[in-house]
Amino acid sequence: MAEAALQALQVFANADRLGLLLAGIVGGIVVGILPGMGGIVAVSLLLPYVFRLDAVAAVAVLTGALAVVHTSDTITSVLIGAPGSAASATSVIEGHPLARQGQAARALSAAFLSSMIGGLLGALGLTLSIPIARPLVLALGAPELFMLTLLGVSFAGSLLGKDVRKGLLSGLMGTLLGLVGPSPAAAQVRFDFGSLYLMDGIPLPVVALGIFGVAEVVDLLARGGSIAQVEGLGRGWLEGVRDVLRHRWLVVRGALIGMWAGILPALGATAGTWMAYGHVVATSRDRERFGKGDIRGIIAPESANNAVAAGDLIPTLLFMVPGSASAAILVGALLRYGILPGPRILTDHLDLVYVIIWSYALASVIGAGICFAASPALARLTRVPFAKLGAPVLVAMALGAYQASQEMGDLVSLVALGALGWFMSAAGWPRAPFLIGFVLVGPMERYFVITKNLYGWTWLARPGVWVLAAALIAPFVWASIQRLRRTRPASEVPSRQSGRRVAVDVFLTAWVTAVFVVGAVLAAQLVPGARELPLLVAGAGILLSVAQLFAVFRGHDAPEEVPEPARVRASLLLLAALAGFVVLTEWVGFLLTAAMFTLWVCLRLARMHPGFAVAYTAVLAVLVGRLASLLSLHLPAGRLGL
Amino acid sequence: MRALAVSLLVAVALAGTAPAQTPYYAGKAIELLVPTAVGGATDILARFFAPFLERHIPGNPSIRIRNMPGGGTLLGMNWFAANAKADGTMMLASTVSSQVAYILRNPAVRYEFRKLKAVLVNGSGAVFYASPQTGLRRARDLAGASGLTFGSLTPPGVELPALLAFELLGVQPKVVFGFESRGPIRLAFERGELNLDFQATFVYASQVLPLVRQGKAVPLMTLGFIDERGRMVRDPSVPDLPTVYEVYQQIHGLKPDGLLRWKAYAGLVAASWTYGRALWVPEGTPEEALRDLRAGVDRMTADPEFRRQAEQVLGPYPVLRGDRVEQTLHRNMTMTLDVVKYIRETIRTKYNQHI
Repeated sequence: MAEAALQALQVFANADRLGLLLAGIVGGIVVGILPGMGGIVAVSLLLPYVFRLDAVAAVAVLTGALAVVHTSDTITSVLIGAPGSAASATSVIEGHPLARQGQAARALSAAFLSSMIGGLLGALGLTLSIPIARPLVLALGAPELFMLTLLGVSFAGSLLGKDVRKGLLSGLMGTLLGLVGPSPAAAQVRFDFGSLYLMDGIPLPVVALGIFGVAEVVDLLARGGSIAQVEGLGRGWLEGVRDVLRHRWLVVRGALIGMWAGILPALGATAGTWMAYGHVVATSRDRERFGKGDIRGIIAPESANNAVAAGDLIPTLLFMVPGSASAAILVGALLRYGILPGPRILTDHLDLVYVIIWSYALASVIGAGICFAASPALARLTRVPFAKLGAPVLVAMALGAYQASQEMGDLVSLVALGALGWFMSAAGWPRAPFLIGFVLVGPMERYFVITKNLYGWTWLARPGVWVLAAALIAPFVWASIQRLRRTRPASEVPSRQSGRRVAVDVFLTAWVTAVFVVGAVLAAQLVPGARELPLLVAGAGILLSVAQLFAVFRGHDAPEEVPEPARVRASLLLLAALAGFVVLTEWVGFLLTAAMFTLWVCLRLARMHPGFAVAYTAVLAVLVGRLASLLSLHLPAGRLGL
Repeated sequence: MRALAVSLLVAVALAGTAPAQTPYYAGKAIELLVPTAVGGATDILARFFAPFLERHIPGNPSIRIRNMPGGGTLLGMNWFAANAKADGTMMLASTVSSQVAYILRNPAVRYEFRKLKAVLVNGSGAVFYASPQTGLRRARDLAGASGLTFGSLTPPGVELPALLAFELLGVQPKVVFGFESRGPIRLAFERGELNLDFQATFVYASQVLPLVRQGKAVPLMTLGFIDERGRMVRDPSVPDLPTVYEVYQQIHGLKPDGLLRWKAYAGLVAASWTYGRALWVPEGTPEEALRDLRAGVDRMTADPEFRRQAEQVLGPYPVLRGDRVEQTLHRNMTMTLDVVKYIRETIRTKYNQHI
């Protein structure tokens, strides 16, 4: 086996092959940086070019790109607060606050180093587990997979924040949104309102970009000034490295969680990242800084999201059961060369398996190196007045969202969810549970249905289920033991009774209540088999949101920081402008709308000189057009066909 | 003098390639719409055909693939029906689910296959197999077998023919719905959670045959392959296994032809498997464009390099020129209302699924 591994390494002694791997890496880095575009976009963009190469080169290019997407996506997440891909939204929560505190360099270097180590550990884990992976994957049946999704949800419990009710409501909202689309148990589509766009559910990249990205960028623009709110250029490169060394076991734990999330087909990359994040928060003693920029909250998820793709390769290569859309594309590429993944790949194409592993390892190192080299320059962006960057960032996000299904629905969802995300952020509602609920409800319902149909109630007697149930309950038991030991400080409860009634909070709570009521009414009309979970979610949502509504009206539950009225007005204006963006795109097409929007932002928010603003807009329009044709992205043409 | 001779030669040479012979597709580009995401089976096949068609269609048009996933392929299919220009520059790849939705008259379908011209048709087959613990040794043991469990997607698309095969043969497995694709179903079979399964032939050859050799799976029968005259013949890639048609005869001693159950089954096998994938252009596409597209398909299927690669990627299933099978295709995709009703009723009463 070692011999085969070394032989595969010689593949890269060839300058052409190494060049192609580099091309894949650069492609992956660029796609990773573009907001909302992740591994799927990277692989699908490279696929047409790759098919002109031989199998070894093709595999090297695709694996190289897949390995680095989750390294470079951090750049966008940390610097701008818009998730570079759906799986890096955790770095928006922890990394972006650090950038605002002028510590972008520290956050980025810690993230890159953890990504690199996570990728290398993933490659190593892949090599070691190949001989034993088959029985491992087969050992876990539907009941265990269902318990694992529950474990994922319970990790989200540690991310609810201080106000448990708001956290739960946020999670239930995400869950309800995740229920849009086909039901796994009955041949019925839920909450599609007769629209074909909603028939397959809302794409994850659009949800992550809207809830986190749009909300963050709107807030930055409304606030004015630069991203970093403090003076002094972020030194911190070495500090980030030291952080990783100090928390080296977190890197390993993150990589292990990521590997497993990748190996098990039920979970997927985004869930793996969130589980690593939830794990860090749950196991940390001091949780004060989480959500405000805690370096531990960057290290573990970044390590995890690079290991996920390596773990994902195990079911992909050994069973031809890809755990993610990007791995499915890799299978497609292999089929194109007549190479069939499956039990025989280890005897027939072992060399190719090692080429994949080496590409993965090499790309992890080279990709992190390139990101390191590029980042001091990028970190300086946090000093530029953000109004000057706002338009291109928003245009790039719209472009990224539109690639999810190339429907106007993508843009409508992006802006609608952006507005929701902004209100949640302004009213102090945590957004992490929303995304976790959205991501996990699908596999959770699916494996519950399968488990119930296959086993009846006997699944509760399986030892694996007991082990996972113990893992599920342990943190709660531990927490209550600790709470019993500790003496409760007397002033904890009444401190929040400020008596204030905050407009955004009232509006959001009322709106959320209405959504749950409508959801319950619609769910009641679904057929049995499709309606149970939506009814449960909407029912719980109604109870909690009504309670919340009372608390808000009485002023018991005001957010800690209330945004100033001027900032609220500026944000609402921007959200309205974005709604205008969608309507205008529908009529005159994307390019013209993007130009008009850019001009408006430049003149009105950045207060640029008109001549300069026109030149800036022209350059941006040309760049977007070129980028679209280079990556063969599609832009909405508009009804008027301009 | 010499200059004159040269220019004369040039003139003659130019006249030889007179513009009257310029192929329709010279300098043109074709946009091939794929209504699924990148990397799906239909997408991979489209990307497999594209470079060969570029090479062999006279005029060498460049072919660009555009993926438009969503609505279970209906979004892209409906978009094509509403927007495609009939000048030969827009082509469509139809999939199994778009054809099944059409056959079953899904109200969201806004496309009409009779308003499209088939350029190329290709398909595949599938194999049924069981776990040795079921006691099944051959397909005819299915009659009267009990304790069988079979996994399925919801709503049933590609496995609809499998469910109708059970109906035809009188097999009553417990069907577990809810799986996301047939890959995890195979894993559940290997884990012993399910004991009856069916997989596309290429998956069978690569994933299930190793299990058969280890004695962990028993091959039973194939879906069967519908030939151009509408008869069910053995699957060219697994010719040693009997088809559902033969197994019916083994069990009942009669031919199933003429039965409503048989019409429903055979129609679905043809539309969703045997002729499951096709490339189309809109009706009204100029005759010279159609002629060149057909010439392209003929030249492609004669190309030894294509044959070699197709052997690996498509297996032994033929690539048929669209106009040759168009009649068969339309006949199979147009089910009489009683057959459609029968399918819907069966799935509703047996499995409580409304399709």
